[in-house]
Amino acid sequence: MIQRLTLAALLALVALLRAVPAEAEPYLAVMTGYKCDVCHINPTGGGMRNDFGVTYAKVLLPAETVDNVLDSWTGKITDRLRFGGDLRTDWSRDTTPNTPSQQAFALEQFRVYGDFTIIPEKLGIYVDEQIAPNGSTNEEAYVRYGNTNEGLYLKAGQFYLPFGWRLQDQTAFVREVTGISMTTPDKGIELGYEHSAWSAQFDVTNGSANATTGSGYQIVSQVVYTKSLWRLGLAGSDEVSSAGDRRMTGLFAGLRTGPIAWLAEGDLVHDDSLERSEVAGLLEADWRVLKGHNLKLTAEYMDPDRAVRNNQQTRYSFVYEYTPIPFLQLRAGYRHYFGIPQSNSQNQQLTFFELHGYY
Amino acid sequence: MASRYFFRSTSRTSLVLALLSVAACAGNGQGLDANGQPLAAGSSGSLPPLSADFASIQANIFTPICSVCHIGGGAPEGLRLDAADSFNLLVGVPSTEVPSLMRVKPGDPANSYIIQKLEGHAAVGAQMPFGCPSTQPCLTPTTIAFIAQWITDGAPPPAAAATVHAAAPLAVTAIVPDDAEPVSESPPQIMVAFNRDLDVTQIDSRSMHIEKIVPGESSASTLVSEVVPARVSVSSSNLRALMVWPSRPLVSGHYRLVINAGAPTQVSDMQGNALALGAPSESGESVISNFDVEVRP
Repeated sequence: MIQRLTLAALLALVALLRAVPAEAEPYLAVMTGYKCDVCHINPTGGGMRNDFGVTYAKVLLPAETVDNVLDSWTGKITDRLRFGGDLRTDWSRDTTPNTPSQQAFALEQFRVYGDFTIIPEKLGIYVDEQIAPNGSTNEEAYVRYGNTNEGLYLKAGQFYLPFGWRLQDQTAFVREVTGISMTTPDKGIELGYEHSAWSAQFDVTNGSANATTGSGYQIVSQVVYTKSLWRLGLAGSDEVSSAGDRRMTGLFAGLRTGPIAWLAEGDLVHDDSLERSEVAGLLEADWRVLKGHNLKLTAEYMDPDRAVRNNQQTRYSFVYEYTPIPFLQLRAGYRHYFGIPQSNSQNQQLTFFELHGYY
Repeated sequence: MASRYFFRSTSRTSLVLALLSVAACAGNGQGLDANGQPLAAGSSGSLPPLSADFASIQANIFTPICSVCHIGGGAPEGLRLDAADSFNLLVGVPSTEVPSLMRVKPGDPANSYIIQKLEGHAAVGAQMPFGCPSTQPCLTPTTIAFIAQWITDGAPPPAAAATVHAAAPLAVTAIVPDDAEPVSESPPQIMVAFNRDLDVTQIDSRSMHIEKIVPGESSASTLVSEVVPARVSVSSSNLRALMVWPSRPLVSGHYRLVINAGAPTQVSDMQGNALALGAPSESGESVISNFDVEVRP
């Protein structure tokens, strides 16, 4: 009975939130047809979950729900103040040709999020702080003005740049080649627009090469059109620094076919200082085998210098994600890199088991 | 029901086919060295074993690991660690995160910022390689010890580079800041990197100066509103890094770095070869950098 009531409440919440633009972790967003801000405080996705995101994590994501204990938990301390967190710890084994294998337990990250709403749907402060490992590091800290669910909004401070899929795997080729990921926030301002199926951002920031010197700037813009079964996005970036301009263009898309969510991204990067063009591509398939079970397969491609022949690299990943109960995920994965045979590091294999807790 | 089964079956088949279709695209490496760069004539392409000399450290650490991110126009903190730039941007150059520390202080690895970043106890930012992900773990203490030993030995430049550069004319390889880009605060120093060691006896405060200018339609019509006194020095630990220190903070405006025409000394290398410059102005001076300062209140 309680489960039915919870489900009914959830469906009502879904119906309510579908009226405004919404999104989630990329494959979940594609699978559900939502926009990022359906589940996340940050309209460009990642980080703290909102009411719906927490409810989704409690009820729809895990294999089994937990009655009573979590009913009232939404991450809210008061109406205006909300906390969240994310911890990933793993055991991994790295096998590289001609090199002794390395294996280790590691704390990959422990982050806490905080959001203080000063004026509802108009003014707020958001913080994403990495507590461990290696001491505290501020990832995001910004003031937002405007409604991030509808119409125009402005962010100012330090935040992740909007460019392509905001993947969980920060080492994906498309994230490494562009240099834009959830490990590389930047300081500046973002003007965003959310309306119906459209999402758009226009950012002006220091640029990664100018973080401390103050020289140069970076402009990043992105437009995404989201429908229930598919979405298409276009991103561009121009970074001006003393070393030379760096321009990037990215095209990314999502598609749902039955139980499988597809993600694709292609990026082209041109670096004036090196007179070099790079290309990176990603194709990811997420198959929701059962409720709480997800099989993630990825194929990636990278050409680190289009003017040089025979230097392309590929990477394949097989990851199984099991979410037995709310806020706990177990992940097991295997990645295999393929590169030029004379490079050991381009032909490594990685096996990992990860425990992921979040709230 | 049958159509649903067909749809799901097709989806799974297409999943496998699509992922496999991207396969087998890795390069075969023909004609490349171990870092994926075209082989130089006569080179075997194999990496030298890791040792406490710069060429080995560059080939085994900086190029394959660090320059994945620290390269080109997007290099974090402007620190480019590709083979062409790394030495000049490391040795004797203040770090941007903690300016009181040099990135590499020859003879003193404990106070070299690069060692602190690699060991994970720097005052600012994450441990390098950034966050030490599973696919690129932290460097082992043994590996870091090779870099520390190179620094202890005085952080000498790569011998091979010196040989290659010996045939090339003395030239500027990097200037920070440069190219009329706005600087949001007065830069404490302007760094000019060269391709060869400079003759420090030929360089003093008369060699270069900073001019505050009012740009005209052409270089001839550009007006100099002020000459900013500056101290010029060459890093004692890196004879390829020349620093120009303004005597006072630069206010907002347009500036240029000029090599003096009438100076009794001229910028030259250890063999007496003068710096190769473009056509000088009517006064004989040569501008090597333009930059704007836009001090924010």
